[in-house]
Amino acid sequence: MKVSNLLGKAKGSALLLLGTASVVVSMDANAIPVFARQTGFKCVACHVGGMFPQLTSLGRMFKLTGYTMGNRPNLDGLEVQNDYPPVAIMVQGAKQYYNNTRAGQGTPSSSADLQVVSLFAGGKITDNFGAFMQWTGQKYANLQSGSQVGYNAAAIDNTEFRYADRTVTPNSDLILGAYINNRAMMSDVWNNFGAWESGWINYFNPGGPLAPTTYMMGESSQHAAVGVGGYFFKDKTWYGELAVYKSPTHGPFSMLTAGTTSVGNTAVTSLLEPSPYFRFAYNKEWGANSFEAGIHGMMSYVYGTPLYGAPAATNSLPGGPASAYHDVGLDAQYQYVLDPHYFAAHARVTRELMNNTPGQANWEGLFATNATDNLTETYIDATYVYEAKYGAQLSYASATGSNDAGLYGAGTALNPATGAYSATGSPNWRSWTPNIFWQPYQNLRIGYMYTFYTEMGGVNSGSNVTFGVGGPKFSPANFNTSMLYVGFIY
Amino acid sequence: MKNVKTILTLSALSLALGACSTGITKSRNLGNPNVTGNTLAQQVCSVCHGNIGNSVNGNSVNPTFPNLAGQQKDYLVAQMTAFHEKTRKDPAAQQMMWGIARNFTPKQIDELATFYSNQKPLPNPAHGNAALIAEGQKIFNEGLLDKGVPACMGCHGSSGEGNGVIPRLAGQHANYVYKQLNVFDRDAKTSDGKENVPDSALERPTGGVMEMVASALTKEQKRAMAAYVQSLR
Repeated sequence: MKVSNLLGKAKGSALLLLGTASVVVSMDANAIPVFARQTGFKCVACHVGGMFPQLTSLGRMFKLTGYTMGNRPNLDGLEVQNDYPPVAIMVQGAKQYYNNTRAGQGTPSSSADLQVVSLFAGGKITDNFGAFMQWTGQKYANLQSGSQVGYNAAAIDNTEFRYADRTVTPNSDLILGAYINNRAMMSDVWNNFGAWESGWINYFNPGGPLAPTTYMMGESSQHAAVGVGGYFFKDKTWYGELAVYKSPTHGPFSMLTAGTTSVGNTAVTSLLEPSPYFRFAYNKEWGANSFEAGIHGMMSYVYGTPLYGAPAATNSLPGGPASAYHDVGLDAQYQYVLDPHYFAAHARVTRELMNNTPGQANWEGLFATNATDNLTETYIDATYVYEAKYGAQLSYASATGSNDAGLYGAGTALNPATGAYSATGSPNWRSWTPNIFWQPYQNLRIGYMYTFYTEMGGVNSGSNVTFGVGGPKFSPANFNTSMLYVGFIY
Repeated sequence: MKNVKTILTLSALSLALGACSTGITKSRNLGNPNVTGNTLAQQVCSVCHGNIGNSVNGNSVNPTFPNLAGQQKDYLVAQMTAFHEKTRKDPAAQQMMWGIARNFTPKQIDELATFYSNQKPLPNPAHGNAALIAEGQKIFNEGLLDKGVPACMGCHGSSGEGNGVIPRLAGQHANYVYKQLNVFDRDAKTSDGKENVPDSALERPTGGVMEMVASALTKEQKRAMAAYVQSLR
């Protein structure tokens, strides 16, 4: 069945959301997703306040030891109790509100809809080898969270196979591991990056245009590249990781990008040269506190594409990469985890140096004006959860960098109907997002979030953001968006 | 490009090979009865109950998780059995230990209990409030005669070392002790004025004596008790 049909049947889903809630009420308390079935843990054991995806110390160790803790059949052929199937489903529904009616959007609010369906599988495969697999279908083009580009698409989502060996002696604790995954930084255990950033839910149908992101942190490489990496975690203190990512064009690795991309197919990355990724971090745990600080980076060599109507002559394939993105950043996390109080805060700054080839279309089909540009991305958040039920979060995101009319100026937007730009070609953006949520059962989360845009395209105030080519002008606040959402996982 | 393919292929091969080496001595399989208690202690239990930074297993860092080092073996056996049988059902037990212990064999439980009872308990690094500690010490040593609370040391030992199925309290995290006192208090309320309350209605059905104690303590007295035992060495 096509996902469009599947999702189409979920229309009028205010009823569905109600139905979801009633299912949860009558549900077995132990009936929870894949890893919980494997370990027998409640969500709150591995997730801060039970709020996925933020990981507690236990959750981090579970992942770093290869998703292998727990009881599942293994290849030894042992008789093992296996109460639940190793699969899970997640659905997210929402109703969105926009600050005003605009061109391209039509209405000030979306209908209440079931917007994302994810299937999960994985867990322990052998004593030291495990997997995390996710397949997602969504109703709208999820421009912000990447992966399934396009309307009504379904594709592979975060997927990772991990091997880990842990040696514990009275004086030492050493984890050595390796992984293959389809998203740079999917290996993150401190919730600082992309896939696992604590602002776990996005606007399904973005109200406004999208903030510029660094190539590393943006959605550009998500699920369209395959990486092989290795890591160590020594004495729960020192962490180091190296990986190489590349978009597979064919062969067995392309399974890991199934449905999301193939080169020349859709609006996705062309990471056709091996692109290294690294991370080093210091971790300290004392009492109910834990702290992490680290450095991360990636060097991405990206081919241009002819996907946006650029003449074939300007397409850089197969001559070589049109762009090289050198990203380096600092990241930190603090947590306090002691029932009934759960607190977590993150801060990250990632700076990108772009080496463009003016005159050649980049991966987005844009023609950069400058040979080099820089972009600095900042993300800060704080989350508090009480009794693993009531939560609030505030996050701040910003981008600042060099002006480039080719990348950020008039007429550069991928889709003129939904793109916004300023006359200056500035990438500067700033937004704040408060989010409150309630988790009456560990499987169900209901929340409301609001995003305030305080700067957009370098415009702080006044109506100088143009929406659409030759379109009306707005102030950043005109793009403020909010969403009432429900997430359910079983 | 061929080099890259070779590297990727070799990496994948080594992953696959690594996956096939089962290594039962480093297993985190909670459903395999052949994995020893010592292996489980190192590979699984140590994640929460402590292993590094003090060079000793069983001294946990986060107060969510009780210290196990030097705990009474009989008590450990009784609790792990209760988690396995899901008869101990305070919230933390359900959140974590039910899953951990659901496939434990009696042999594994015995090995784990032996392992942790033989570990060296370290002084708890947390700093308690001196006035609370003094108040707790008085109750610990003398009880509360007017409320019928016996001296804790009568059962738990003069330095909180425990005895058999009576747990060691010395150095235990105050937050954990306080929460458990509240568990007993809730059980006391459940059984209050009723006869033949089934075990299934209680969070810790074997805690009859502690129900009496906990229900007689004020919130502050519970905190005092917890602070005092945490300070014991």
